[in-house]
Amino acid sequence: MAGFLVKRLWQSIILLIIVSMIGFGVLHLTPGGPLSQYALTPGMTQETMDRIAEQMGLNRPLPIQYLDWAWRLLQGDWGTSYRDQQPVLTVIGRHLFATMLLMVSSTVISIGLGTWIGIRGATHRYSTFDYTATVGAMIALSIPTFWFGLVGIYVFSLKLGWLPAGNMYTIGDGSVLDYLHHLILPSIVLALVNIAIWSRYMRTATLDVINQDFVKTARAKGVSERRVLMKHVVGNALLPMITLAGMQLPNLLSGALVTETVFTWPGMGRLFLDSLGYNDYPVVMGLLMFSAILVLLGNLIADLVAASIDPRIRLA
Amino acid sequence: MTAAEIHTHKHRWWRSRSVQRFMQHRLAIVGMVMLFLLTLACIVGPFLLPYDELYIDLRARFSPPLSGDHYLGTDPLGRDIAARLLMAGRISLLVGFFAMVLSTAIGTVIGVVAGYYGGKVNSALMRFVDAFLAFPSIFLLLALAAFINPSPVMITIIIAITSWMEIARIVEAEVKSLRERDFVMAGRMLGLRNSHIMFRELLPNMVGPIIVAATLTVARAILLEAYISFLGYGIQPPLPSWGNMLNGAQQYLATAPWLAIIPGITITIAVTSFNFIGDGLRDALDVRNDPA
Amino acid sequence: MTKNMNRRQTLAMLGLTGAAGALAPNLFVGPALAAHPEAPTGQIVVGVSQEPTVFNPLMPRIEVDDGVQLSVFDGLVRISPEGEFIPALAAEVPSIENGGLSEDGLNWHFKLRDDVKWHDGEPFTAEDVKFTLELIMDPNFRSWRTTGHELVRDIEVVSPTEIKWRMEEPFAPYMSILVETMMVPKHILEPLEDRNEAPFNQAPVGTGAFKWGSRKAGDHVELTANSDYFGEGPYVERLIFKYIPDLTVLYTQFKSGDIDIISNQYITPDNYAEAKSLAGKEVSVVPSPTVESVFLNNEKPQFQESAVRKAIYAAIDKQTIIDALYYGLPTPSESYLPQQSYYYNPDLPQHDYSPDTANKMLDEAGWERGADGIRAKDGVRLSFSNSTTSGNHLREQAQQFIQQSLGEVGIEMTIENKPPAVMWGEYWTQSQFDSVIVGIVFTTGADADVTVRFASDAIPAQGGRGSNTGQYQNSEVDKLLEEAGRIFDQVKRKEIYGQVQEIIREDLPLLPLFQYATVRGHKEGLKGIEANINTRIDTWNAAQYYWDQ
Repeated sequence: MAGFLVKRLWQSIILLIIVSMIGFGVLHLTPGGPLSQYALTPGMTQETMDRIAEQMGLNRPLPIQYLDWAWRLLQGDWGTSYRDQQPVLTVIGRHLFATMLLMVSSTVISIGLGTWIGIRGATHRYSTFDYTATVGAMIALSIPTFWFGLVGIYVFSLKLGWLPAGNMYTIGDGSVLDYLHHLILPSIVLALVNIAIWSRYMRTATLDVINQDFVKTARAKGVSERRVLMKHVVGNALLPMITLAGMQLPNLLSGALVTETVFTWPGMGRLFLDSLGYNDYPVVMGLLMFSAILVLLGNLIADLVAASIDPRIRLA
Repeated sequence: MTAAEIHTHKHRWWRSRSVQRFMQHRLAIVGMVMLFLLTLACIVGPFLLPYDELYIDLRARFSPPLSGDHYLGTDPLGRDIAARLLMAGRISLLVGFFAMVLSTAIGTVIGVVAGYYGGKVNSALMRFVDAFLAFPSIFLLLALAAFINPSPVMITIIIAITSWMEIARIVEAEVKSLRERDFVMAGRMLGLRNSHIMFRELLPNMVGPIIVAATLTVARAILLEAYISFLGYGIQPPLPSWGNMLNGAQQYLATAPWLAIIPGITITIAVTSFNFIGDGLRDALDVRNDPA
Repeated sequence: MTKNMNRRQTLAMLGLTGAAGALAPNLFVGPALAAHPEAPTGQIVVGVSQEPTVFNPLMPRIEVDDGVQLSVFDGLVRISPEGEFIPALAAEVPSIENGGLSEDGLNWHFKLRDDVKWHDGEPFTAEDVKFTLELIMDPNFRSWRTTGHELVRDIEVVSPTEIKWRMEEPFAPYMSILVETMMVPKHILEPLEDRNEAPFNQAPVGTGAFKWGSRKAGDHVELTANSDYFGEGPYVERLIFKYIPDLTVLYTQFKSGDIDIISNQYITPDNYAEAKSLAGKEVSVVPSPTVESVFLNNEKPQFQESAVRKAIYAAIDKQTIIDALYYGLPTPSESYLPQQSYYYNPDLPQHDYSPDTANKMLDEAGWERGADGIRAKDGVRLSFSNSTTSGNHLREQAQQFIQQSLGEVGIEMTIENKPPAVMWGEYWTQSQFDSVIVGIVFTTGADADVTVRFASDAIPAQGGRGSNTGQYQNSEVDKLLEEAGRIFDQVKRKEIYGQVQEIIREDLPLLPLFQYATVRGHKEGLKGIEANINTRIDTWNAAQYYWDQ
């Protein structure tokens, strides 16, 4: 176990180095740069732009810039946002809450609904419900998230007027209820895909349990089916549930990006898109490293959980 | 029998069974039919419609569906949405298809090589795969899209570059499990070149999982094209694609909702078809489903 | 008109704009005095579609940053909607009559107010002015613009309320530049080693009507009333700039009443008709100094001939673009200057949309249609790309419409739009484009000096120091621009800039489409709002805002 962790750690470090190098290279070799937002400013001259680029160290050779960035990172300095003049970690931290809020609520929705649909589908196998759920899950996986968001806004905000069309809270309000009201639509939209995945998973898991001998025995002994199911299915599904939640970590960025754009949600995905649009290198690199670390963490959790469930998988 | 003959034989054997199973998979058939109709419409449709997909008529802008000859209405420049939708279908489907071909090719080669050689080659290649997976795919897409002129060909390549990792992993796992099998050993003893064993002997045994993954990759590629074009980084106007038809639609959600609804439904239908087919193929090609 | 004599001379001396300046009512005794509350009451939420992030007013900034900075800081002078300079931190605007300016325009002498305090209670003095002007030229400081400031020499603090300096050479637009130069506190910034990363930059201390309150990044900036403000106002307790990154949502929030003022980038033209009819909202169309043009890269072989540029211009149906796509809001333009500018030349030839003329011109110039229907001459195909920021939907629509119009006369225009960071990076600055559709403010503040945009030595792609990215070269224009920069006689300057506009209209290095108009809106009952084409943002006078009781 310890050996596994050491090896894993070593691999992760190498991976992070590769990711940072590719990311840094791609980002800096992309035409344009952080100063482009001032190019149209009245009276702006090339001279001024060149001077600012010089001051910001953007004229140095790329490897030097990379080493400088990496060296600072090792000392815990993630850099300062070009757009914001704020430390990168502060910037990320400020957007983290919004995204976490969205992620947590959508994960709760997807696990809750997914579990219910999955178990019901398995216990009522081949029923209309099961069939609808199967087809529904396939369709849910096929809908472009942002489009589902647009349709949601059209129906619930524009036509029915029940839910707000965007933002995290109303200015001047900001009560818990107000947050919840704003949270409903985006978190359902974001949950859609995961409801589909999770319900498929729960259906299979439940079927496995139902077909096992001890359940049949228990049922024969007259223990209520519901109790057996609850005990074993949920018990067995608990760890995969953690895995799924673990695998959600990387989605903090990419998963929520489009949803946050559609709903003007002030989270990490939008921060990422904005920063990329302005070539705010330090923030983009920060987010990239942050997300890479989350991916590695997610994988690690998944592996550990898989190993603890199935003793045949040996961690080596 | 040579090694080659053994697996050709095997090949034929599972094939017929699988085809049968596939034909019984109702969703897969539905998917096939939907896809066929959609493709047919995209190929033939533009010739039957009264309007060209590029013709701008500002007097007819924002016509709702079913107004006059504009069966699906018009866009903000008065262009016929039906015509654009079908021409966009040609582009989006082709982008999806070729992105799949390309990413399957990349993924398969890397997967086979990594799995066959094992050891250092394997860990180097697979770390590379992990590194790509550690990127938010949207980052690579948007950063690469900034590099080039987003023509359909370049978008296809970009999508392929960001979606080959899954297939590489699947193939690598398959090759690892097949590596020590008799026919590979036989091939080695016969002194066949490594490349021959990898691509002539091993590869045909993995056609099943690769096809399944490839089908799902088409679905994914169509969605990715829609994402990046929606964000404005994808295929450039006036060339229509399903994704860029949605770009800007949010702005007109209240006044011209059909701009958002029609392309969205079409994308969903196309992607669902591929997912249905993929699901059917998975069931059909899964050996465990064979009666003992 | 006796008093006006002096003022006109002053105006002439400084090269002021604002034709109506002399007749305008004084801004600060205008309607704002109606019924504002005794003490600041209530709050105003201003919606902006870009996030204000730069709060040090000497650093590179965008329009929405101005919105916050103009409320927190003051310059020595400010500019009225009519283009008249008004003293702000200065006690009076220097002129020859009051002895503030030497006859040759080289010696400047400012008298300052003695009743101004920084938000932390320290008094504002001439030392702060000196520090500010020097900081701008500090090579280690990331200042945004040095034009004009680089000519300042021998700054001398005469007394806490008096400062003077010498200019290396006469530079007429400098007063306009001073309007955009906010004063920063010496006592806070001087002791710091690194002013680029100063805490001040995130919690600024100014002299303005509003003090820095708080900021929630990605969401809003809150300012609070400065009860010690030396000028009129403020009349509200809190001024909040709320960042709403999507124009549709911005408008929705205006409709629903979540924001009180819809600021940059205002109401989109497609919503104008609806916005006008909203109950409880005041909506108006305000001209903006931004001029939209098809901006050509004049070094490209396709654009070498005058006939080609004229033919392209004739083939563009401007009026339809304005009427159908922009809902009739912008005004067609022949000049790069806004029509409200004192220097605007109204006698330029009018654009005439005529594909026939375009065809004829190209035929006569020897551009023959090839097999693909695209014209060519001497191996050069009449084909070029056009780019703009992706995501600007109206502009993308105009672009496609122009593409079709040009196609009809045998000109191929391909579209290559790019994300902002790429578009306005070296692609733009190093003139790598064929053509671009872009809205540009060519002026600096109210001044009509366009040397950095059109002078031959201002081409970055050819080693120049300005921003002449269209690579336009005309020695006559060079000569005229240099002359106009050196003289202070307003009438003469107007004449010269009129000539420049004529030459540029004839040469067509850029094809002017229209001057933008923005649709602005605020809640009924909100008073003191006044448009000012000489500032980059609508909230330039937030000190005057108040709620009608």
